[in-house]
Amino acid sequence: MKLLLRFHTSSRLKVRVLLLGILCFTALSLQAQDLPITGKITAANGMPLIGVNIQVAGTSRGTASTADGSFKISAAKDATLKFSFIGYLPKEVKVTNTTPLEIKLEEDVQKLNDVVVVGYGTQKKATLTGAITTVEMVDKVGQPLTNVSNALQGVPGVFANLGNSQPGVDRSTIRIRGVGTLNNSDPLVLVDGIEYSMDELNPADIESVTVLKDAAAAIYGSRAANGVILVTTKKGKGASRVNYSYYYGQQKATYLPDIIDDPIAYMKLKNQANINEGKAPEYADADIAEYQAGMATDHFTYPANNWYDIALKNGVIQKHDLSVAGSTDKYQYRLSIGYLNRDGILFGPGNNENKYSIGINASMNVNERLKVGVTMDGYYRNYTTPFYTSTWSYLARALPILSDTLQDGRYGNSWLRTLGRNNWENPRMLAYNGLMTKTVQRFLTTVFAEYKLPFGIMYNIKFGVDKYDGLLTGFTPRMQTFNPKTGAAINWNSPATAPRSQRTDYNDINIHFYNTLNWNHQFAAKHNVALMLGASYDNFDSDSWGTSMYGYLDGTLDAFNAGTVWNATDGNYTRDVLQSYFGRLNYDFDGKYLLEATFRSDGSSRFSPAGSYRWGFFPSASAGWRIDKESFFQSNFIDQLKLRVSVGSMGNQAVPLYSYLPTVELGEDYSFGGTLNSGGATKKYVDPTIHWETTTTYNAGADINLWGNRISLTVDAYKKHTTGILRAVNIAAQIGNLTGPQQNIGAVDNTGVEVVLQYKNNIGNLDYGVYGNVSYNKNKIVDLNGEVVYNSDGTILKEGSPIDAFYVLQAEGLFQSQEEVDHSAKQSVNTKPGYIRYKDVNNDGIINGDDRVLINTSSSVPKLAFGFGFNLGYRGISLSAAFQGISGVKVLPVANLAFPFYNGANATKEWETDAWTPENPNARLPIITTSTGYADNFQRSSFWIRDNAYVRMKNIQLGYALPDRWLSKAKISKVSVFINAQNLLTFSKYKDFDPESVMNRADLYSYPMLKTYNGGLNVTF
Amino acid sequence: MLLFKPRKNKLMKKIFLLMAGAGFLAMGCNKSLLDTSPHDRYTEATFWTTPEAAAAGLTGCYSVLRNDGIYGGKNSSGGSATALWDETLSPNAYNYSNTMSFNFIAAGQQNASTGGIVTARFGDCYTGIGRCNTFLAKVDEVPDMNEDDKARMKGEAKFLRALYYFTLQTYYGDVPLILDPPNKETQGKLPRTPRAEVVAQVITDLDSAALVLPASYTGTNKGRATKGAAMALKARALLYEASPLLNTTNDVAKWTAAAAAAKAVMNLNYKLFGDYRALFLQPNENNSEVIFDVQYIFPNQGSSFDLICTQYNTNAPLPDLAKAYYMKNGLPTSDPASGYDAANPYLNRDPRLYATFTYPGDVYKGKKIDSTRFASTGYGMKKYSIYDSITPPSDKSDLKDGQSDINFIVLRLGDVLLMYAEAQNEAAGPDATVYDALNALRDRVKMPHITPGLNKEQMRAEIHHERRIELAGEGLYYNDIRRWKTAQTELNTSIFSWSGKYLEKRSFNPQRDYWWPIPQTERDLNPELTQNNLY
Repeated sequence: MKLLLRFHTSSRLKVRVLLLGILCFTALSLQAQDLPITGKITAANGMPLIGVNIQVAGTSRGTASTADGSFKISAAKDATLKFSFIGYLPKEVKVTNTTPLEIKLEEDVQKLNDVVVVGYGTQKKATLTGAITTVEMVDKVGQPLTNVSNALQGVPGVFANLGNSQPGVDRSTIRIRGVGTLNNSDPLVLVDGIEYSMDELNPADIESVTVLKDAAAAIYGSRAANGVILVTTKKGKGASRVNYSYYYGQQKATYLPDIIDDPIAYMKLKNQANINEGKAPEYADADIAEYQAGMATDHFTYPANNWYDIALKNGVIQKHDLSVAGSTDKYQYRLSIGYLNRDGILFGPGNNENKYSIGINASMNVNERLKVGVTMDGYYRNYTTPFYTSTWSYLARALPILSDTLQDGRYGNSWLRTLGRNNWENPRMLAYNGLMTKTVQRFLTTVFAEYKLPFGIMYNIKFGVDKYDGLLTGFTPRMQTFNPKTGAAINWNSPATAPRSQRTDYNDINIHFYNTLNWNHQFAAKHNVALMLGASYDNFDSDSWGTSMYGYLDGTLDAFNAGTVWNATDGNYTRDVLQSYFGRLNYDFDGKYLLEATFRSDGSSRFSPAGSYRWGFFPSASAGWRIDKESFFQSNFIDQLKLRVSVGSMGNQAVPLYSYLPTVELGEDYSFGGTLNSGGATKKYVDPTIHWETTTTYNAGADINLWGNRISLTVDAYKKHTTGILRAVNIAAQIGNLTGPQQNIGAVDNTGVEVVLQYKNNIGNLDYGVYGNVSYNKNKIVDLNGEVVYNSDGTILKEGSPIDAFYVLQAEGLFQSQEEVDHSAKQSVNTKPGYIRYKDVNNDGIINGDDRVLINTSSSVPKLAFGFGFNLGYRGISLSAAFQGISGVKVLPVANLAFPFYNGANATKEWETDAWTPENPNARLPIITTSTGYADNFQRSSFWIRDNAYVRMKNIQLGYALPDRWLSKAKISKVSVFINAQNLLTFSKYKDFDPESVMNRADLYSYPMLKTYNGGLNVTF
Repeated sequence: MLLFKPRKNKLMKKIFLLMAGAGFLAMGCNKSLLDTSPHDRYTEATFWTTPEAAAAGLTGCYSVLRNDGIYGGKNSSGGSATALWDETLSPNAYNYSNTMSFNFIAAGQQNASTGGIVTARFGDCYTGIGRCNTFLAKVDEVPDMNEDDKARMKGEAKFLRALYYFTLQTYYGDVPLILDPPNKETQGKLPRTPRAEVVAQVITDLDSAALVLPASYTGTNKGRATKGAAMALKARALLYEASPLLNTTNDVAKWTAAAAAAKAVMNLNYKLFGDYRALFLQPNENNSEVIFDVQYIFPNQGSSFDLICTQYNTNAPLPDLAKAYYMKNGLPTSDPASGYDAANPYLNRDPRLYATFTYPGDVYKGKKIDSTRFASTGYGMKKYSIYDSITPPSDKSDLKDGQSDINFIVLRLGDVLLMYAEAQNEAAGPDATVYDALNALRDRVKMPHITPGLNKEQMRAEIHHERRIELAGEGLYYNDIRRWKTAQTELNTSIFSWSGKYLEKRSFNPQRDYWWPIPQTERDLNPELTQNNLY
């Protein structure tokens, strides 16, 4: 970069001299003693290879082979020619004379013999029978990934949704092949075989992430129903190397609501809203006139504040990673440290993050039979939030008339009385005063051993400890806002409880243990058999407690011993155990016919020991056929044609602990004579017969590689049939108003197709590749015992519909005249022209809950998810871009800003122009009213359901690898620099907020998605 | 690592074989590995085994009184003040911000999907009922219980069950009557029971409670249900039953029964508390006039009464109430002889006005207040707030969510005297006992006695008025105007601020609004539940 810069700033003369010098040098070297070299390149079977890249080592000279495989190039005597071609092993040939060269390139069988990580082991990709997708983290180098889950965006069959970009909690929700369950749908994540959170690992320490989508996951039977994600950490390979990488980026919000920021326009529209709903105007004309006059001279008392502008700044993200790794035949090791720092886009100290990671990965062949190893990966990290954490909701409620500060720096409120705003939430005050800090130390430590037993049996044992220590500390000083006119104070928090210090301690330890026996054997050179048997034990202990302290002299000290009034302490402890046995049998005949069978039996403490509810049995079988290996199959252009089928069952136990046990909970206290008495009550209804939810997955797929593996195509079709779905069911209040039980309530089908297509090739020195994938998933509830489950957000579960389909009133446009209101079904006493007209579905003359209709679109699972992208490489320069999108999902956000003037909040600008008035009868929006004062228009109805389909450029990256010849002198093996941008472009009809963030949310105030501009370098010694 | 030398191979091999076997075996044999039990809750099977647990189970029945849907105080974000918001359903007060949808009901805009109090009250009544039913079914299984204690505790549970059912049928009419512990199979699809049967059960429970409950408690039992509480609640239930909304044939026997029930409470040992304002202040909790109150204590079990009275103003008194107070001389403001001065409207009024709310020009918390202090109507409620004219101590200057300590009085002698007067006047006409009951309340606040010689209708109007004044701010007036069937006029008006500024229009549909809708969520979950008329 420096060189380039200098190049630009130097004078033209200098440039000319430089160019001349280069030209002379080149000419000179050509003249030296160059030999004209010719030759022909063929594959092992004699077929000529077209487009093979030929390069003279140490120079920039190169060419490509022609249609008959021949080439021509000149090179110095004793120079080395490098031949490279996709799908073939590279070859180097020393030039000694001008005899035409006969070059034969070997197929890169290694590529086809790539191993992929499967449950409790690895398998050759070529003999896989399951639907598996692997993300190589090397493809993500340079991207500002704060968490590993965010790297899964755009992976076929995986829907990764980042709903919240707040530093410290910016993790994607992962859904694999739709939502099979109505309960927890998170996939099971294993790091090097041990259950762990992938987001507690430094992305730089990860080699690959493998997603098991079909019955391949069945080996993890117990909790595999939502798919399994296997994370493999990096290990030392080959000569010892030191790698350092760094990036720096700036971030800002992608979308923000378009709020009314003109105070006069705001007041006038609010008044109109009040008048429309039959109430007195909120702001007196005299006050508005005074405001308008005052704005010119006194912006403290008469502000025109756009609070998003005030509160947001550019965020900064930077990351350093340093690692040392290497291996010999005796040992391998990798040590790494990393540091990530983020300063979020919100003002104040309440959105910072620091993550310090450490990774240790070492193993040793003690002798020819025994190998032992240890890994330790994890974070020491902390992040901050404001003490009163709802900053985004406060911002969504901030008004243009809310004073930021007064002239003397005190925090302002507004002199204009606004109903619903008794205690003004001044965002600046709340962002700069009072802080919560969460500090987490979480490490996964494992020790393992492999021992070769007689008869070729391999014994593996692994023991892992996942230790989580969390400390949440918070302190709030007393806060006050002041009337900008009178100086009168409003206490934000009560002197009785502030200043206040509080701490919560989290102390979790999860212990995982498994051991397996493996046996591989080849019979008669063609029959390959592999057998694995194993057992595992997982124990989860969780302990937390918290307390708080009042009685501080002022807001400066926050230690507990600086306070005087001790307050309540609270805490909880839980334990959860899983015990499992499993096994796998693989058989292949000559690499052509592939068979696999697995079983797993799991016991869970979450189910009743009585009856047969506790243990579940989950078998699977799969088969593959390598048609290309058949003797009858002769093709010059098909490198691989494999058909796969699989069927298997998997379980889900995701119910809260002790859901089967009728309990009496404490905390229902009451005082008599001024003394608190402990009270207990049954609060939950319990079904003691709950048991494993089971998903049976059917998958059929094909892997096709064509033309020297230039084209690869994978197609899968699947059906996931989930029975005994576990779900908390609401029950009628008359049954003691108890929380409904967790029950096995019914069955859901997910059917879908996934297609992944890649094409890669080169034109001379230009390597290029394009890829695309598309996943279609149809989600349908097939059985609910004829019942309907009503969710609280206007969605339902009903046989024949997708999960969480909307069940709302049907809007039929807007009333245009009083006559029309009078002749329509009765909605409310206030209904008048401009209001939404609902359809009287049952024709009883009253609009009520009986008129709701089903809208057959899920609110949570997209029907279509797709990703596509390209990459280009030319002599060390690389350019790549990745796109992602979804469609077939709808949202219905409510409350602040999604609806106008919600309990004293603002409205978006569209209400100024697009709302119904007698002069604007064809308006898109109904007549303006406050959404809390007049609820009828803002009932959940089809009117407010929005399509949030989007296509987004997730990443675009330009990189440059410095040429070897520059580096070899400095003994550096590799240097690359890159710049990239994340979320640069988004195409969506949905404009109110980020279309990705708004998914699965009922409001618009999460930390928005971020646009990141990023640059950095990567150096290997 | 260096320790592992080749010669140790044999040993290593043995160790690993052993471990391999052990690993598989250990996990195979130990079935109890999976048996975990909770550390933070009892199982139903182990809970009802000690007298302490039985006491805690009963406490759980009381704790529902503080739920949002009953009297309020317990919610996730801190506190609520439902008991005070109940007043905003009536012409006495205004909930401008529509907290828990109270204003929708006041304005006649409620429907089955309104949520808020409509949903909360239905659910929370059943929370209490379910707990009482469980307690009554389980307490007999508890060993080593003192029989007297057990009988008393059953009486308390029956009183609470009656209170929850009384509340439920008051607002929703017919509701499923369930007397057994919660059971989804047997109770989940039960239809609504005719209201008369529900009330009959309320009376049965109260009668049996009154038999076993003590007249009073001492020390750390104060606040439990007493004999008087059961009898007073019965008097209220019978009064409601005798009223025009429910007693459509004007059966005089119902009024007689109501009068007798109230009279029985008057014969107990309750005395009017001398100071009307101080009756509602924390130092005087559980005083001689209090028959049953909801217990609040800070910091664990507070309410938000002070917060809403002094800051949120979500129970803002309305000018219609202010006008209703008589002059100190006992004459209504509309009487030209009263001396009412429209320029000084708060001069020489019934002292209960000053004790109940603050008005522009009043001194409040040590400061003279202007019309913007309580911006929604100009008035701020004092009753059930610790705040008065004096400056509060600094640690109490600004109580927030859930920080109010004062108990809420559900039943007091003053109310019972008015119940008696009303029922007796309807049953027997305005006899001397009617005058005595009313004048006792007048005497306390040094107001002139009721004009002698009123006829029954005149006396009825006087009693209705006296109830409104005496009980203003206590959440009873909405049910009074419903049962008198006057809501259709009193709630079919526009409301205004102190200065006459229009606030909003209220409406009341007599065909529909005398009853609340059965919440839509309940009808979704139990299709057997019918809906009230026109919802």
